[in-house]
Amino acid sequence: MSDNNSQQSDNTSQERDEDASNRTVETDGGVATGGRSADTDYLDAQVNIFKPSTLFMRDHLRIVWTMFAVWALFVFGPVTATYLATDFMTSTTVMGFPLHYFATAIGAPTGALVLSFVYARKRDQLDEKYGIDHSGARAGPDAEAAATDGGSDR
Amino acid sequence: MTFEPVPLDLLPDALNASFKAIPAVMVSGMLLLFLGIGYAFRVADTEDLWVAGRSIGNVENGMAIGANWMSAASYLGMAALIALSGYYGLAFVVGWSTGYFILLIFLAAQMRRFGKYTAPDFVGDRFDSDTARAIAALTTILIGFVYSVGQARGMGLVGIYVFGGDYVTMVVLLMGITVGYLALSGMLGATKNMAVQYVILIVAFLAGLYAVGFTQGYSTVLPQIEYGALLSELNSEFTEPFSTGGVYLWIATAFSLIVGTCGLPHVLVRFYTVESERTARWSTVWGLFFICLLYLSAPAFAAFGTDLYADKVGAVYGASGMSGAEGDVIVVLASQLANLPTWFVGLVAAGGIAAAIATTAGLFIAASSAAAHDIYTNIINSDATQREQLLIGRATIVVLGAIVTVTALDPPALVGELVALAFSLAGLVLFPMFFLGLWWENANREGALAGMTTGLLIWLGAVLNELVLATDAGPVVPLYAEVFPAVGAALAGTPIVFAVTIGVSLVTDEPPERIKRIVRQCHSPEPMGQQQSAEDVVSADGGQISGDD
Repeated sequence: MSDNNSQQSDNTSQERDEDASNRTVETDGGVATGGRSADTDYLDAQVNIFKPSTLFMRDHLRIVWTMFAVWALFVFGPVTATYLATDFMTSTTVMGFPLHYFATAIGAPTGALVLSFVYARKRDQLDEKYGIDHSGARAGPDAEAAATDGGSDR
Repeated sequence: MTFEPVPLDLLPDALNASFKAIPAVMVSGMLLLFLGIGYAFRVADTEDLWVAGRSIGNVENGMAIGANWMSAASYLGMAALIALSGYYGLAFVVGWSTGYFILLIFLAAQMRRFGKYTAPDFVGDRFDSDTARAIAALTTILIGFVYSVGQARGMGLVGIYVFGGDYVTMVVLLMGITVGYLALSGMLGATKNMAVQYVILIVAFLAGLYAVGFTQGYSTVLPQIEYGALLSELNSEFTEPFSTGGVYLWIATAFSLIVGTCGLPHVLVRFYTVESERTARWSTVWGLFFICLLYLSAPAFAAFGTDLYADKVGAVYGASGMSGAEGDVIVVLASQLANLPTWFVGLVAAGGIAAAIATTAGLFIAASSAAAHDIYTNIINSDATQREQLLIGRATIVVLGAIVTVTALDPPALVGELVALAFSLAGLVLFPMFFLGLWWENANREGALAGMTTGLLIWLGAVLNELVLATDAGPVVPLYAEVFPAVGAALAGTPIVFAVTIGVSLVTDEPPERIKRIVRQCHSPEPMGQQQSAEDVVSADGGQISGDD
């Protein structure tokens, strides 16, 4: 396995200077199943939440971090605002509610639900962009590999 | 907010506790239905027992997520917290609902791709350590224990309303039924049951809310919004911010519940039961939708209940105000005070029992798999047969059930608070391992061990300080309770656990290449087979063969 890896790093050393996320690596067979994702060997791309190393991860993490920021605003915004501007938040009314109560009890859960839906949609679009199809997962040929429990000791 | 001592006599004063024929028939019928479904889907092998053969679809898993999630703490406890502690109670609504988004964007699909059986399995395999596996398994069992005590209390209190009798009998009876059907059926039966339980609990809860709101003139078509008009008529304690807990405690509680959501083993295992990672994502969205139905309604129920209580029973707040036991059944109490027919109040009560049983089931399955699969098979006896594993798993369910029952006879806190303790434990010990394990490939064994130990110590310190060793004068070390309140220890604690894990990982050796490749496989967008785990892909990839075809 280690030989295999060093060979790959030779292949990629040139491209490393370019945008790391753009590098293309020859696959060593067995995982890539088609579409644009076949150009990238994800098993050689480092996983670090702050330094996405493939195009896919970069696109994905951009969505993740943006939505995380919006989420944080929905969840901790109302209570922080209530603490900082107590009078304004408690005396303003929205549909009969004091604003602080409305934003916390109704705004936060609803916000999280809408964000979740948007995220799942965006993630599906990302799958589409990278030519990923999960419908085959059910009856995929891979099931057999799992049944024989892989080739770790071969 | 401190834990109110709960009187030994747990009979809620205002609740009409006596044997009621029609509600008793309804609840018994429901319990028989659960046993029947458990029997129809009884299992004989461990794959089915732990992950239901990985065959569960979107909406069904969403419902199971909802039922698994919405325990007595959501059905009964949340309204109690909102009624008794006002704006602070909303921290529970926010924490318990919005955490699912974090779970969705950071963990759900990756966990599915990792594709093992249990949460301790993830920790043990990812950090390549049986010690880490053992700590995670013990934490899972501890979480199951603390969490279930709250459920047993909820079941007992509602049981009194339906069957009369006393609290002790009800706890023993209802826990006995839960344990029985679990030992029979395992995860597959539990998943099928959970979808049924979700329907029962949400129909009962919403029917109760609409009926109370309509008959008392509070609301018409959308009580979830209409209760706003009522708020100004309630005591100021109901809405006034930070009167029963400061802003730090509020944020600490919400934060703990959020990270706890992402660290709870019985929640994560729901992602192992689905057919693909896309299902893992969409079932989370469905789950959150089902959860929001109840979470947007609970504050309305609390407002109606509080107003009715003030009108018909007496002052809600103050020394002779609503007791903890009354708060914990306020949903049932509100239906009773609204003079709804007995059978209808029985329906609301049945929903509470369904909620408690569904969650206890999920917790016990997670705990039993931790004992049988992670501790027994992976550490003690690697040649364990399926028969032995099932035996150990069932024995764990029975033993844990007995311990929970005994503890619940004299529970130390409100339902919601008891459950929140389990969340801060999960947020402190397991969430950092899941998050770093999946998102930072250099997190290693030494880091995980140091981090989990730190988390456990912080939690034990908080619980001993505030609950077990505390006197009437308050916590043993007040400053520690300020920084690490037992229900919100994760706000200050989780960053410490993260720092320890990262720091120790940096000064020790990097994890082996094989582990790193497994982590990378969890983030690869390429589809995987239904029965495949990241480890299978990685080991097939390194070899000469292409694995299939």
